[in-house]
Amino acid sequence: MDKKTRDILITSFLAVILGLILSGIMILFLGKNPISVFALLFSSMFRDGYTIGEIFVKATPLIFTSLAFAFTFKANLFNIGAQGQFYIGSLAAVSISLLIPHPIAIVLAIIFSFVLSGIWGGLIGYFKARFKANEFLISMMSTYVALNFMNYLLRTVLIEAKGEYPQTDSLARSTWLFKIVPGTRLHFGFILAVVVAILVWLLLYRTTLGFRIRAVGQNQEAARMSGVNPELIFVFTFFISGGLAGLAGVTEVNGVQHMLLQGFNPSIGAIGIGIAILANANPIGIIFASILFGALHVGGTIMGQISGVPSSIIDLMEGFVMVFVIISYFVRNKLEVNREKKLLLEGDN
Amino acid sequence: MDKPFFELRGISKYFAKVIANKDVSFSVNRGEVLALLGENGAGKSTCMKILYGLYNADEGEIYKNGQQIFIKSPKDAMKHKISMIQQHFSLVPAHTVTENIILGNVKGKINWTYEEQKIQDLANKYDLKVDSKKKIKDLTVGEQQKVEILKALYLEANLLIMDEPTAVLTPQEIDNLMNFVKDFSKQGNAVIFITHKLKEVMSVANRIIVMRSGRIYGNVKKEDTDETKLSKMMIEDSFEQIEKNEFSTYSDEVYLSVKNLTVKSNDGIPLINDISFEIHKGEIFGIAGVSGNGQQELCMTICGALKADKGSIKFNDLDITKLSIKERIALGMGYVPSDRHRYGMVMSMSLAENILLKTSYSKEWTKKGLIDRKKLSDKTNKIINDFKVKAPGPSSLAKELSGGNQQKVIVGREVENCGDFIIFDQPTRGLDLGAINNVHTSILNEKENKKAVMLVSTELSEIFTLCDRVAIFFKGEIQGIYNASDLNSEKIGLLMAGYKDEKEDING
Repeated sequence: MDKKTRDILITSFLAVILGLILSGIMILFLGKNPISVFALLFSSMFRDGYTIGEIFVKATPLIFTSLAFAFTFKANLFNIGAQGQFYIGSLAAVSISLLIPHPIAIVLAIIFSFVLSGIWGGLIGYFKARFKANEFLISMMSTYVALNFMNYLLRTVLIEAKGEYPQTDSLARSTWLFKIVPGTRLHFGFILAVVVAILVWLLLYRTTLGFRIRAVGQNQEAARMSGVNPELIFVFTFFISGGLAGLAGVTEVNGVQHMLLQGFNPSIGAIGIGIAILANANPIGIIFASILFGALHVGGTIMGQISGVPSSIIDLMEGFVMVFVIISYFVRNKLEVNREKKLLLEGDN
Repeated sequence: MDKPFFELRGISKYFAKVIANKDVSFSVNRGEVLALLGENGAGKSTCMKILYGLYNADEGEIYKNGQQIFIKSPKDAMKHKISMIQQHFSLVPAHTVTENIILGNVKGKINWTYEEQKIQDLANKYDLKVDSKKKIKDLTVGEQQKVEILKALYLEANLLIMDEPTAVLTPQEIDNLMNFVKDFSKQGNAVIFITHKLKEVMSVANRIIVMRSGRIYGNVKKEDTDETKLSKMMIEDSFEQIEKNEFSTYSDEVYLSVKNLTVKSNDGIPLINDISFEIHKGEIFGIAGVSGNGQQELCMTICGALKADKGSIKFNDLDITKLSIKERIALGMGYVPSDRHRYGMVMSMSLAENILLKTSYSKEWTKKGLIDRKKLSDKTNKIINDFKVKAPGPSSLAKELSGGNQQKVIVGREVENCGDFIIFDQPTRGLDLGAINNVHTSILNEKENKKAVMLVSTELSEIFTLCDRVAIFFKGEIQGIYNASDLNSEKIGLLMAGYKDEKEDING
């Protein structure tokens, strides 16, 4: 194992531990014993098959949203709008599944979610390419547009038959993603997420197109001089990125909720960014990092239910871990620089 | 003996990837012109930036008149009357000469008449005449340099550091600068002159410090040395000058033809103005000129990165004026750009990936849609061997290589990819002599292989050694096209400075 991989593992591990310790101090302020709370956290996480399955259920959409961030990140672009692209994907998935109550809807939902949220994301790339717009701001603001668009549809054409709440009717059972482990909620979406992560890795590191994306990310001018059109790469990268975030819509709508409702999974976009950084934007690393966050989430929820600690402590915990993960990114850079300096000095004497 | 005016002791500076300076110690006395000689990347500029406070040294101390001083920023340096003229001037283009000189050094209400007078007095004293009411953007590079010098004088600097001051000047301007340097040092001031040009060193310096890979390799008085000795100190390996065939031959077949080409900047100023030339099969066609006179724009236009406003470019009788970079690469056009960091390579990628960069659209690198990594790695190994690149292997990162070896990789890639025509834009800038030799051999090989070569260079020796014909550029126009054998340094110097000589232009 080279030193860089070792750094990633050690700093990421420390980031998680430090996040937990800081949350432990917070628990102390609440008058609870953090050690027993955490003991409960870990024991509850693995208490039964259902809970373990739940970890993977929670990880599934996070894999997609962090892939979305990582993919543009490789082209040195920032897609902060995965949340909005996820909403567009969810809308596409729920509309198709309601229209066609047949298993074929699953395939169509996957295709349409990908394409429609891809176009939604691709627009960000287009604005950047055409008008030199700042993709950071546009992608961030596009989330609010998507959110309000979704809410509008939920109150109008997509509203349930009863017309009481801003949510859709339940999907027909035939359009649900099938379960892969009986007795849990773990559905086919997780396999889809893992396969997509591997495909993204292949695209980025084993095809010339992926090579060009990375070349644009690391030296746009040299890529341009080599015949690559960076503007086209912006649009394409954002299309794929948006599509990836949109797929989370399918897994959440057809796999978990079986309906679409207002305020649906409001933070998976933001958490996805943290996971992508934790995994150093490596698609394979993202799978594992997402499972870790899935576990934290599940453990935290149960902890909130049974230990008497308010359930908002989970958000706090996730927040702390995220902060340390981002700090660890800079620590790693510093470590690498220092190591190179040391190497130079050794080679010198 | 008096204590030295300024002294550096044991200065070391490390950057992430390189040792920029290691244990550098030397001193400079009042009334002395000290030349800091070394190839690009030898650590001359870094060392001076430490003295000027732009960088902080990792180790070492600085003394003034025997007293230790601490220079944390240029502000501290100015307090000790040190001034530095950077290679790239730090002037505000939209401001006038006076405004630039007094910038940051006046408080409250500005007494313009007094300041103007002060600047004029300084200019007269040292014969540095510039119109103080003109805006910087309307001045030539030589005049801008005068402004930088005046700024230093205005600050009453006693130690003037000049980083490659002659790189952008015409021969005549260089003479004026040299006179100023001698004049200024005679008044009890000190000058440190950073350069890699031996001639300048011999003409102006009292003492010479030779640097190589961040260390000092020689500290000699001018009287005790000569150009040969200095060049030996500058380079490690013995260097063999390439001999070109006495009679340069090339065929009549035209590979590249540029007709009435005009390229304008975004604000409509012509960068290249109505130029025409042809390059033949087996010919090395030189573009000489002081850098920044449109040479890079010409290269960019030929390879497709800039659009031509007028005129045409024909490649093998095919009009390529409207084609994209990608299409021109596919036609077999090679291009070794002058700024390899910016345009030539992706430093954070592996050598193999950098080899792939230029031909990533070609089907030859893929198998079932995926990159054929074996083939790519074989090709990279071949280039590493053929072009004598010092690198561990195809998977080493480009940034881990020295500048010379990076350039060999680019040259190797372009030579391997290109069909009939290749552009070398300042291919040896900043390289050590071993790598220069290597690149020159590659260029001559291309001639042997019956390709057409366009060589842009600011080094006259390079032009004279390699080229068959030479076009001299001045302000975006061709001053004349000559057979290299009909030119000498004096004549080319005049042409580069803008003096046109209609009679002997062979294209007449």
